[in-house]
Parts: sequence; structure tokens; C-alpha cells
Amino acid sequence: MNSLRKYFAIASVALLIVLAVSPLKDYFSEWRSYQYQYNALVATLPQRVKPVPIGIKQQWVQKFDRVDRCETCHLGISEPALKHAKQPFTAHPNIYHDIDEFGCTICHDGQGAATEYKESIGKVKFWEKPILPKDFMEASCAKCHKEQNVPEAPILNEGRKLIEQSNCVGCHKIDGYDKQWVPRLDGIGSKVNRTWLVNWLKNPKAYFPQTRMPNFLLSDEEANNLADFLMTFTTPPANASLEKLPAQLASASAAAKAKMISLGATKFSEARCISCHMINGKGGYVANDLGKVASKVNETWLYNYLENPKRISPDVEMPRFRFTKNNLADVVAYMEDQFVDYDAPQPPPYTPDPAAYEKGLALYKHYNCAGCHELSAAPKAEEMGPELTYVGSKKIYEIDFGQTTIEQNLPSYLKTKLLHPRIFTPAMKMPDFGFTDEQARAVTVALLGNTDEKIPAAYIVHPKPKSTFMPQGDFGKLVRSLSCMSCHVMNGNGRLVATDLSMEASQVQEKWLEGYFKVPYSLRPILTERMPNFFLSDAEIRTIAGYMEKVFIADSIEHNVKTTPAAVASGKGLFFQKYGCQSCHQVGGKGGYVGPPLDKVGSRLKEGWIFHWLKDPQAYRPNSIQPDYKLTDEDAEALTAYLMTLK
Amino acid sequence: MKKAFEKLFRSQVWRSMFRHGLPLSNRTRAEAVFYNFFLHVHPTKVRKRSVKFTYTWGLGGLSLGLFIILVFTGGLLMLYYRPSVAQAYWDMKDLQFVVSNGRFLRNMHRWAAHAMVAIVFLHMMRVFYTGSYRPPKEFNWVIGVFLLVTTILLSYTGYLLPWDQLSFWGISVGTNMVKAVPFGLGDTISYLLLGGTMVGENALVRFYVLHCFIIPVAAVVLMAIHFWRVRKDGGV
Repeated sequence: MNSLRKYFAIASVALLIVLAVSPLKDYFSEWRSYQYQYNALVATLPQRVKPVPIGIKQQWVQKFDRVDRCETCHLGISEPALKHAKQPFTAHPNIYHDIDEFGCTICHDGQGAATEYKESIGKVKFWEKPILPKDFMEASCAKCHKEQNVPEAPILNEGRKLIEQSNCVGCHKIDGYDKQWVPRLDGIGSKVNRTWLVNWLKNPKAYFPQTRMPNFLLSDEEANNLADFLMTFTTPPANASLEKLPAQLASASAAAKAKMISLGATKFSEARCISCHMINGKGGYVANDLGKVASKVNETWLYNYLENPKRISPDVEMPRFRFTKNNLADVVAYMEDQFVDYDAPQPPPYTPDPAAYEKGLALYKHYNCAGCHELSAAPKAEEMGPELTYVGSKKIYEIDFGQTTIEQNLPSYLKTKLLHPRIFTPAMKMPDFGFTDEQARAVTVALLGNTDEKIPAAYIVHPKPKSTFMPQGDFGKLVRSLSCMSCHVMNGNGRLVATDLSMEASQVQEKWLEGYFKVPYSLRPILTERMPNFFLSDAEIRTIAGYMEKVFIADSIEHNVKTTPAAVASGKGLFFQKYGCQSCHQVGGKGGYVGPPLDKVGSRLKEGWIFHWLKDPQAYRPNSIQPDYKLTDEDAEALTAYLMTLK
Repeated sequence: MKKAFEKLFRSQVWRSMFRHGLPLSNRTRAEAVFYNFFLHVHPTKVRKRSVKFTYTWGLGGLSLGLFIILVFTGGLLMLYYRPSVAQAYWDMKDLQFVVSNGRFLRNMHRWAAHAMVAIVFLHMMRVFYTGSYRPPKEFNWVIGVFLLVTTILLSYTGYLLPWDQLSFWGISVGTNMVKAVPFGLGDTISYLLLGGTMVGENALVRFYVLHCFIIPVAAVVLMAIHFWRVRKDGGV
């Protein structure tokens, strides 16, 4: 009986000890110790920072349906005095959202409910969203910000741009991106030479480093078969036929050729081809590099293309220059002579394969060439990659990391995949886009932002609806033939390389406009993109000016300014003394180069525009560096009066 | 001191609970046993060998003890847990991270539940191998089988309540197995359990009510009969 009592006593004491463990663990918890440390820290600061009462601190973010307890330990988050304190007490860097309103995990991910370090960063079993690494932080902006240019998120914006440019939607379904124009491959057999094509297929960036075409890492045999397959398509789209070269070009004597070449050189520079095209890496960024084009396309194709680009390649952005037949022959002769690739790599060894067509077609389908290119023989994209609209919510258990030893999380998977597309399993087909580390990170950021998280509609920032403005009639035909919208914006539609034309006729005088189209010049000598010379006819110029005068008008910037001598004198004073405009603008051969010269501004611009522009430049061009002096009406009118006298 | 006790023993409150005087005579000693539930359920006589620990291994008593722990911890867990799809998992996270001793409560409940299933099963094996199901105890064996079933059902219904992937799929599998019951009953039973055709809000509420009210009450009633019979048949 005695021994039973002993056992009972021992068991009771053991039970008491066991029961004491849990409250003790509660009492000596990690967060409590951080709070004591924090209070000790703030006591040593020269600034007065309130110590915190001990206890769990949490934010209930009702609209995002989450409770974040991060501030239980991150106590100095909104305390500027703790900017340089060690973690977890560091103040949050400049932030664009109210922490109390948005909480922490909506941006950072991790386990907001947790009160222990390891659990809170979410790198534990059964937590699907571990904390987002700092490098990829901007991905979270994309959860709500669906607009084109997200403020303060350069990496995200860059990533989205790269996704669009790289035409990822050719193979992956991703909501919110448009498919980019890519040349059709019908007629490629009568356009390029086979050696170039094989080299191009093997490594496109060797020919043109900025090309969007990725490297499919083809073997020599694959490249040969695919090239043989493609070379069989000799009819351009829409059954357009290639005209024969004119006799003067086809059978010119050496002396005649030399003359043509020198004339062609002049026309080539007059037309300002390099505003859009590069020549061996220098020049515009709008179109591709012409530096080695003579080794790529044949002379007949080049002649036909330059004569009317959209006939041979529908929807291409290249405008139709109004060359005369002779000038056209000269330019072609010049290009054929100048732009030869002397360092073209040796094509891989080649023994014709009788089954090249079938094998080439199979490769064409396997690598989903039809995702980007159109070709009548294989019109449908068949081998699509996975949809990426919600790739940011992909779970770790859904990812095959293969034999790699990278960190096992989604950001590192995506980035590694972009840099080394076939590293995880050899069966992967994704081509190598040649992204730099920074670019791969940017694309990863943009992809991570594609989550299926439910955000209340009120918090989603939608992209501006795209304008579908397209001028019609004679002017519309000219706009399409000259591809004006490749560089100019009209009523919200177009690519902004040059100016927005939506209220051009309220800005400039009709006479100046007509003169400008005869010999276009750049208003800003420091810009690289310059208006090409299309060699327009007088009738075409009148059509353009006439349409602009009727349509590209904004009544709101009409403003009458009296040009009294007193106003002019006062304006001159303001110009040179008060505002020192000459530090950026040239007048009378003196002044800065930053802004356009103002010598003949009085015969170029309309007074209403000058007045409104001076009053609030950023209202019209948000990125303009013209300072906003918050001018009074009188000052703006006086300056306008003075400028209008500069004829 | 003595006077105070005497006053207490004579008070109406005391006398309403203990209807006999102090056990000083044989009569009052007998009354003390008859009128007390806990003493009266004892058998009038117990065989010496059945007192021996290795005769029963105390498995029935251990099961009861675990059941008491489960009722106690479960009751406390009910203070924090809400059986709704939106909140169930987060309430569990709260128990883990912010409720004082919450993790201890959950773990106690979980391990006691596991232990109870194991011990009840061992208890049944012990009864079987010692032949304790033989007449006159055959009815109590049947009650015991029902108790085993309630224990397993308690364990199973509790499985859904954390509302994580494991519980969701566990219950999906289980209720799909129920559908295999023949005579067209399977679908009906599965529908009855889930309150629908899939594991969702209705299923969660049903399993919660089953786990916290219906099955425990059934278990308590069965246990009462079970213990009564054990005692009447000369068990400890």
C-alpha cells in the first residue's frame, strides 16, 4: 500500500510539472521577449518614443479578410526615429498605403496570424504563401494595380513591358496582354536566303541582338530541316506576287551602279531611315537593324518591299515612302552594296533530308511557331504552354524542381526558368529569350503579380480602356500607308515615340504644318528619332493639313491675346529676366539646347496653345520638363504676346 | 470547530444531500452506501483476483479518464472555435498563436483522442482474450461494441473540424465510402451526414453538432449502462 502511495505522489507531481509547461511556454514566448527588448531599446533613444504595453498587437483588415499580427514584434514600423534600428524594430521605408488600412501580408505574404518568427515568414509545412523575397516585392502591387504604368513600381512595369514585347501570349494564355505583330512566314522562301535562315534559327540574336525572336536551342539537324521546310513557302501573303527587278537595276554597268549607289545613299539619309532602323546597332529602336540586311533578303524582295511594304507584308509598320522608280532602284542598289554581313557564321554541315518537309512541319508544330507566326500550312497554335493568368498563385507542390539545387520557392523557380528555360526537365520546350538577370527578375515580378487572390473590386485599379480611334477617309488611308500611329498618338490611340497629335491644329498654324510636311525637321536637335521624309505629294499634304484643321482641334485651348507693345515689352522682360527662359530655349542664336528654339515660334504656334502650355505644361504632357511657374493670367498673356512677335 | 460541523450536518442543505446521519452505526453505514450513487454502483462483493491490476490493465478506467480529459479540453476549445467555413481554420490558428495555452489545449485534445481510440480497442481485446464477454456479460459486450463505435465516430467527426486540406479530403473519402452502402441507402446516408452532396458549410455544422453534442450524449448514456453492468457483474 505504501508503494502505491509513492507512485501516486510521483504521478501527481509529474502531472503538475507537465501542466506547468504550457503556461511557462506562453510566458516566455518569443514575442514577449521582443517587446521587452523594444522597450529597452526605446529607453536609450535620444528622441522620445513611447514604450509599448506588453501584449499581442494585431490588425484586422476586414476587407482583405485577414488578421496580421506582424506588429506584435515589428513594433517600430511607423516610428521614424527607428529608421536605422535593427530588425524587427526597423521603421517601414516610405510607403504608399496606410499600414493600418492595408495590413502587412496583402503585400508581403507570409503567415499574418502567426506570432513566432518561423511561422510568420511562412517557411513551414502547410503554409502556401511564404514571405515574398525583397527582390520581388513589386509583384504585390500587381494584385490590385492592373493599369499600364504603376506608380513607383519600375520593375513591375519593366516586366510587363517585357512580357508584352516577348509575345509570351503566343504560347501562354495571360489575361491583360495583347498579341504582338510578328511577320508572317508565307513567302519567306522568296524573301531570305537559306544560309541566313539556318543561322537565324540557330541563334537569332547573333544577327540582331535586339530581336524579339527567342533561341529555340535547335540542333544543327533541326535547324536544317526547319529551314528546308520554311524555304518551300515562296508565295507572299494574300498571293501577292513579286515583280521582277527593273532593267536598270538588274543589268547595270559598274559605272552606272556606282552612280546609283551614291544617289541611293543620299535618298537613304534624306528619308531618315535611321529614325526607326538601326545600322549595326546605332539608330532608332522602332524597327530592326538594317546593317546586314543585304545578306538576309534578296534584291527582288527588297525592291518590291520598299515599293509598297504592306503589299508584301500586310500589317507591317513600315510606311510606304513615295520614292520615284529611279530613286527606289538607287536605294536598293545602295542597300545591297552597303549592308552586307561579312562576318556571317559558317552554317552547320548540311546533307539534304528527303523527309525535311515532314520533319520541319513537326518541329514547327512542336515548338509552337504558330503561336507567334502565321503560316498557311500550319495555321493553328497547337502546343501551348500552361496558362499564366494566375501563375502567382501556383503552389510549391505543383512545381517540378528537377535536379536543380535552387531555393525551392515560386520566385526562384520562375526566374531560373526564364534564364535557363530547359533546366528543370529536358522535355521542356520553352525557348531562351536571352534575358539578363535584371530582366528575368522583372518578368518574374510581373508574373508573380498574376494571382487569383480575391481583392474587393473597389481596390482594383483597372487599365484605361484602349482607344480604338482610327481616322477614316483619305486621311485614314494616308495614316495607314505612312504608319503614323507607330510613332504618333491620335485621340489616345498609337505609340508615343514622337508627339501626340490629338490637338495638333490648335497648337500649330496651318501654314507651318504644310511647310513642315514638305521638309520635316526635328524641333529638338538633341532627339534621335526624327520625322522621316516620306516625299509626300502636295495633294497628300493638303489632305493631312485639312483633316487636322477640322479634327485635331481642342476648343478649350482657344485664347485671344492682345499683342500691344506694352504687353510685348512686359513679356520680353519676363522671358529674359524673371523666368530666364533663355537658359533652355534659344532666341536669336543664344540660349540653351534643352528646349526647342523659339526664334520663329510666332509663325509656328498658336497663341491659345502658348498661353495654356505656359500656364500648366504638365496638364498636357505629364512628363514634360518644362517648369510650371504657376503663372498668373497677365504674365502668361504677356509672355505669349512676346513669343508671338518672334516670327 | 466541532460545533460548527454539527451545525453544518444538521442544516437543511446538508441533509437534503446526505439523507443519513454520520456513519456511526451499522444502519447509518449501510445507508451511506445505499443513498450514494458512487458508492452504490460498486458491486456488493469483488473477487480478489479481479482486483489484480494485470487482470484488467485498468483499460476501462483509462478510457473513462481520457473521455473526461476530452470533455474538459473540448469544452474549452468550444469557447474559441466557430464551425464556419470562413472562420474554422483561422480559429484554429488563433488557438495556436494567441489563445493562452491554446496549443496545449488542442494538443491535449488531439492526443487524448488518439489514445482513447487505441485504449478502447485494447480494452476490447482484453475482454475478448480473457473471455469476459461470456454469459452473463454478453449484453455488456454488445454495449461495449457500441461504445467502440461511438469512440471511432467521435474521432472521425472531430477530424473535419480544423477545416484544412487533410480534414476536407479525409471526410470526402469517408463519405464517398459511405455511398457504397447497398440497398440504395449509401447516397441517403452520405447526404444526411453532409447536409448536401459535398463537404461544405452544412457538413461542417453537422459534424460539429455530432462531435460536440449528439455522439457524446449517446456515449455518456451507453457508458452509464456499461458501468452499471460492469459493477453489477462483479467488475471493478
